[in-house]
Amino acid sequence: MIEMQENRKSRYMTVFLLLGIGTSVFFVLNICIGSVQIRLLDMIRIFSRDGLGETPERILMDIRLPRAAAVLILGGALSLAGYLLQTFFNNPIAGPFVLGISSGAKMVVALIMVFFLGREIRVTSGAMIFGAFIGAMLSMGFVLLLSGRISSMSMLVVSGVMIGYICSAITELVVTFADDADIVNLHNWSRGSFSGMTWDNVKVMAVVVFMTFFAVFLMSKPLAAYRLGEAYARNVGVDIRFLRVCIVIFSSILSASVVAFAGPISFVGIAAPHLVKRLLHTAEPIWMIPSCFLGGSVFCLFCDLLARTMLSPTELSISTVTAIFGAPVVLWVVAKR
Amino acid sequence: MTNYYFSTKKMCVGYDGKPLIKDMEIYLPRGEILTLIGPNGAGKSTVLKSIAGQLRLLCGKVYLEESNLAEMRAGELAKKMAVVFTEKLRAEMKSCRDVVATGRYPYTGWFGGLSKEDESIVDEVMELTHITEIGGQEFERVSDGQRQRVMLARAICQEPEIVVLDEPTSYLDIRYKLEFLSILQEMREKKGLTVIMSLHELELAKMISDKILCLRGEYVEGFGTPEEIYKADFMERLFGINESSFPGNTKFLAYIRQMMEWS
Repeated sequence: MIEMQENRKSRYMTVFLLLGIGTSVFFVLNICIGSVQIRLLDMIRIFSRDGLGETPERILMDIRLPRAAAVLILGGALSLAGYLLQTFFNNPIAGPFVLGISSGAKMVVALIMVFFLGREIRVTSGAMIFGAFIGAMLSMGFVLLLSGRISSMSMLVVSGVMIGYICSAITELVVTFADDADIVNLHNWSRGSFSGMTWDNVKVMAVVVFMTFFAVFLMSKPLAAYRLGEAYARNVGVDIRFLRVCIVIFSSILSASVVAFAGPISFVGIAAPHLVKRLLHTAEPIWMIPSCFLGGSVFCLFCDLLARTMLSPTELSISTVTAIFGAPVVLWVVAKR
Repeated sequence: MTNYYFSTKKMCVGYDGKPLIKDMEIYLPRGEILTLIGPNGAGKSTVLKSIAGQLRLLCGKVYLEESNLAEMRAGELAKKMAVVFTEKLRAEMKSCRDVVATGRYPYTGWFGGLSKEDESIVDEVMELTHITEIGGQEFERVSDGQRQRVMLARAICQEPEIVVLDEPTSYLDIRYKLEFLSILQEMREKKGLTVIMSLHELELAKMISDKILCLRGEYVEGFGTPEEIYKADFMERLFGINESSFPGNTKFLAYIRQMMEWS
């Protein structure tokens, strides 16, 4: 028995190491590869302040680095939000996108942007996250209402998709009536994109996402009990109602942060946790929460690299790429049941 | 009242505010086995769920010794009462041993890591319930009978003073049924474990129980020792069958008579 435990521990450590290496490698690749190639050596020189000429340094410091950092943070947030929702609904294909939570957040953010940008008022990152959070909670509220009436898992997902469609339709409507100048901006964002990240954005999202991550990690023990089923969780002393409220709020904050900065991104929330779970061969929250985060980061860094480079100089929307790699995973999950 | 470990006062149970059974008064000294019997749909599961605090009481109170169960802190109650319900325990990618270990939840630290002591309790309990050999197998893949034994091990692992079990032996073959019940008896003798459970097997209930509670839908048909309960007309009152229910079937008749003749 002790041997088995040791084996498991070393497996978890190996997966952590792999995910860590994967994140670092793709992070560096994301910084180096692009329309202007930056060699690894040059990058080190920029950091040692040797100077390399304005252009590459600006590209690195103002465009690529903040973007890669945002992908890392938001990818992790998306994956963790997916894992939380899967735990909450006991449904392997729940996620912020399929349940319409991303679309709800998108709708409110679009409304805010059109309203304020039309009046030439700058919207802060914090306000965007807050708006997205309200939208996410709105969708979540509908899904929760419906989940009380619907017991079938697949029907719940169908309802989520419908809520998503309604929100997207409203967003489209709003975007159509927006000023010309805003449309391009809004349109890119509403399809999902990591482009145009600034350091200010990164700072805000880092604070929000990492704080939420930490809070979720602290809940890993009651989450583990919750995954056994409500009756058993209650019997071992878990305050179910409080825990459920926490899961709803934290998963909404995570989804909202992603939508506020990068728009709705599909399938990462289902695919990344599932792949990580297969790798770890456990669904225990204490291992899954950090691995999920890293897994989402790797997945998104990989997808964003492709989105930027596949048809360069045209940039693909991130959801196009995540769908190509994520949707088959979802099909695999569904087929296996 | 002080003599009883478990008691209920005017307990009403039911769903959605509609009382199913009213004014239940149950008294059970420490270390006794109470079995709920009754026809399907008589409310056995409802009563057990209410006792375990899983279903809100419509009125009345449940006491463990002097303390009102509704006012006890969840963590405190978890160390006193364990449950085995018919609801499936979800154990994605968990081995049977992992499932047993989840019983240690009330005793572990903030992140739920198992100490050496926890591990040895888990192993001990698995030995006691004869599931050591299947410890490494995935819980979701073992047979229903094995699963029920794992669930019992999990409950014992929680080191409770009282355990509430809903039809815990339904999937077991006769050998494991007896073994399962003998484990409960052993726990009762060694640790003074109090047991409240429901059983469908009348003869087993008669054999193992100190007290029997007969449920019949809206009321309690009887509460007492097996001698008091298994009397001449209890089969008729409880299940609506008597010696003329199966005319000409002498074997059934013999069974019904055997059930009704205690000692």
